[in-house]
Amino acid sequence: MTGKRTDLPGPAQTISLPVDTRGLVRVGARPPLLEYLVKIWDHRAFVFYDAKARVQTGNRKDRLGSAWMILNPIFNGLTFYLIFGLLLQTGRGIENFLGYLIVGVFLFQFSSRSIMGGSKSIRSNLALIQAFEFPRAALLLSVNIREMIAIVPVLLTMLVLVLALPPEETVSWLWFFLIPVVALQAVFNLGVGLLLARLVSQIADVANLLSFAMRLWMYGSAVFFSYERFIGNEVLLSIVQWNPMFQVLDIARDCILYETVPDLRSWLILSIWALGALVIGLIYFWRGEETYGKD
Amino acid sequence: MGRTNHPATGEMANVTVVIDRVSMSYKVRSNKSDRSKSTVLKRVLRRTDNRVAINALNELSLIVTHGESVGVIGRNGSGKSTLVRLISGQTQPTKGAVYASNTPIMLGVNAALIPELAGEQNIVLGCLAMGMPRSEIDRKMNSIVELSGLDSAIYLPMKSYSSGMSSRLRFAIAASIDPEILLIDEALNTGDAQFRDRSKERMDELREKAGTVFLVSHSLGTIREMCSRVVWLDKGDLLMDGDPEEVCSAYKAFTWHLTKGHHPYAERLRSEARAKLVATEVWDRLPGRRSA
Repeated sequence: MTGKRTDLPGPAQTISLPVDTRGLVRVGARPPLLEYLVKIWDHRAFVFYDAKARVQTGNRKDRLGSAWMILNPIFNGLTFYLIFGLLLQTGRGIENFLGYLIVGVFLFQFSSRSIMGGSKSIRSNLALIQAFEFPRAALLLSVNIREMIAIVPVLLTMLVLVLALPPEETVSWLWFFLIPVVALQAVFNLGVGLLLARLVSQIADVANLLSFAMRLWMYGSAVFFSYERFIGNEVLLSIVQWNPMFQVLDIARDCILYETVPDLRSWLILSIWALGALVIGLIYFWRGEETYGKD
Repeated sequence: MGRTNHPATGEMANVTVVIDRVSMSYKVRSNKSDRSKSTVLKRVLRRTDNRVAINALNELSLIVTHGESVGVIGRNGSGKSTLVRLISGQTQPTKGAVYASNTPIMLGVNAALIPELAGEQNIVLGCLAMGMPRSEIDRKMNSIVELSGLDSAIYLPMKSYSSGMSSRLRFAIAASIDPEILLIDEALNTGDAQFRDRSKERMDELREKAGTVFLVSHSLGTIREMCSRVVWLDKGDLLMDGDPEEVCSAYKAFTWHLTKGHHPYAERLRSEARAKLVATEVWDRLPGRRSA
């Protein structure tokens, strides 16, 4: 079977048959982009069912179940508070450091969970992919919708914590800005997830690097320190300000903690990132459609 | 002595599946190589050639029309399952392409779909993935559960299922849709006697409704009974394609001589079968179609 063919005579005759190939489609072929988007739309019931079912069963193994969705960022924040707030005192000079930290940790978790989940979605759904034919991007959409459903109680907890912990904050209309910020963040997460999902499905090694990249991104996003205090260099500062996660946190903190109307420039930077990531991610992912789940 | 029911003149109508110059080979890493020569750098750059090419299927063309039931026979490793996986789209051919008038549905049994979800949720998800509307799923739910024979286990997460249970569920989901092109790989079909009866009943039902059926089976009885055309593959080559009686008896003679140890004679039968083959090829009317 390997290498050289066994000496088998050729067929006696080969007849060329004219076939009317109109109406035939190549099996497993990647449809044009527009048709692909329509196919995703047709699978919306699948996307929502998948997202809903997995939210419900996500934490079933743990005794505290879904409470971990909220306990996780709280413990995370507590750790950072102990190390950076009390020991290293990176929070000096930040008004309401506790609130600053909470907003940072809770919102960063949303992106890291969505992106990590998205990047693994081809590998962790191989059985489903091999069993049925559906647009694979539906899996990414489902992961992100699942995280969006899960973020709602987390955000509410975040607001309650900000209100409950000193110093006192007041509820203002600016809080509503949290909705478009999180929406833009979600679009960005989806785009990056699409990009990484194809990369990870082709080069498995990328998955190993991802957790380091995430940590680096977190340190670069001013989650638990003030950038103004550590970055004097103008160039470095402008690089940090082009970080979409930094803008998400900056806008959210302005609205929730400091009662400041966020800069137009911040919205612009964030929107460019979100839409850019989605368009590039979608096209890149779609171009690899035929390769997913194949061995 | 090939099939004569397709004259070479006039365009073929009602074609449902076209397998156009398809071949399949893959490379696997061999353990047999000299390890000292392969450095990490070379491995990263894929420079070490300890990979061996395996031809699962040599170039092959088949044209199948509406109403045909095609049986696929051959020894282990002949490429039967590869062929069906290529038609279902689960694997992409190395060369060539498979065209179909509709999405072919494979009735085989795989592993669990989503282990964390209950069997019932997996049914909904699988049916939605195949594009079935929710109302239809709700209507068919009882019959799917019944076919799977899972009873109240349907509410337990799929990871708690035995391999038999999950393959039954997987089969029941795939069998819930009435496909135009149906692929059945019986080699995968295991299960207890009770499930075999139930699944056979449903398969017969689907086969009657489907326009085109491919059936891979080791049972020549089943093939003779159910197929209108039989394809014999051996070591990745097409040996015969034609009338079930004729192909099955040739195959039976071949395997009989093999088990008796008459290898040279069996080889001769093999060569003779191939020498008589009248192969078909697609003469494409729409140029550029094949570029993909």
